[in-house]
Amino acid sequence: MLESVTSTALTSALDGLSLRQRTIANNIANVNTPGYTAKRVLFEDALASSVRAGNGNVTATTQRSLEPTRLDGNNVNLDTETLSNVDTVLRYQFAARAVEGTFSGVRTAMRTS
Amino acid sequence: MTFDAIGIAGSGLTVHRKWLDAVSDNIANINTAKSTDGAAFQARYVIAQEGEGVSGAYVAGTEYGSEAGRMVYEPDHPLADAEGYVRYPDIDLGAQMGSLIMAQRGYQANAAVVDRAKETYQAALQIGRN
Repeated sequence: MLESVTSTALTSALDGLSLRQRTIANNIANVNTPGYTAKRVLFEDALASSVRAGNGNVTATTQRSLEPTRLDGNNVNLDTETLSNVDTVLRYQFAARAVEGTFSGVRTAMRTS
Repeated sequence: MTFDAIGIAGSGLTVHRKWLDAVSDNIANINTAKSTDGAAFQARYVIAQEGEGVSGAYVAGTEYGSEAGRMVYEPDHPLADAEGYVRYPDIDLGAQMGSLIMAQRGYQANAAVVDRAKETYQAALQIGRN
């Protein structure tokens, strides 16, 4: 139960989302740094196929954004970063609540005899 | 999982605050006259750089504006030389105002990231509470 695909997948999701949160913070911190290119964190597709294979474990990967740069060589788009930041907060809260749900299932099982 | 999104946003706040400080100093000194035997007031330009790995941004150094500045004929000025010239800094007020707005908006964007990172951590702290 504690090592189930669900809880492993949720842990991977929390890890991936927290890495994405840090990466977005890094992109916004460098919004005016000349020559900086934005980074993206990808894990959803890999997680979906890992769950399908009955595993649930996945490591998030980081890619460089290929968007065109401004004159100073920077390509951070503050609008998309802000949206992605809000989206990640909500997804994180959602995943945290799901983890809580698996724990309360375990707790119920422990109380019943 | 490490709780460092707040620290990364904090590094962005520091870079933009230093930039704001430099720009306001430049604008405050835009009419500072110096005698012609010394250098003019030199505008400061902060150089932002990406930190190692995912660790935010930092100010790598400062570049200075022109030492020569602009020579202005003001014979009544107490600092005027024998020919009646004083040295004013060569600062473009339009460019400084543009930088001021960019620095301010960058600061605000990073302050908003701190708030959102806090929401994420609060969600993490709720795991296993009930």
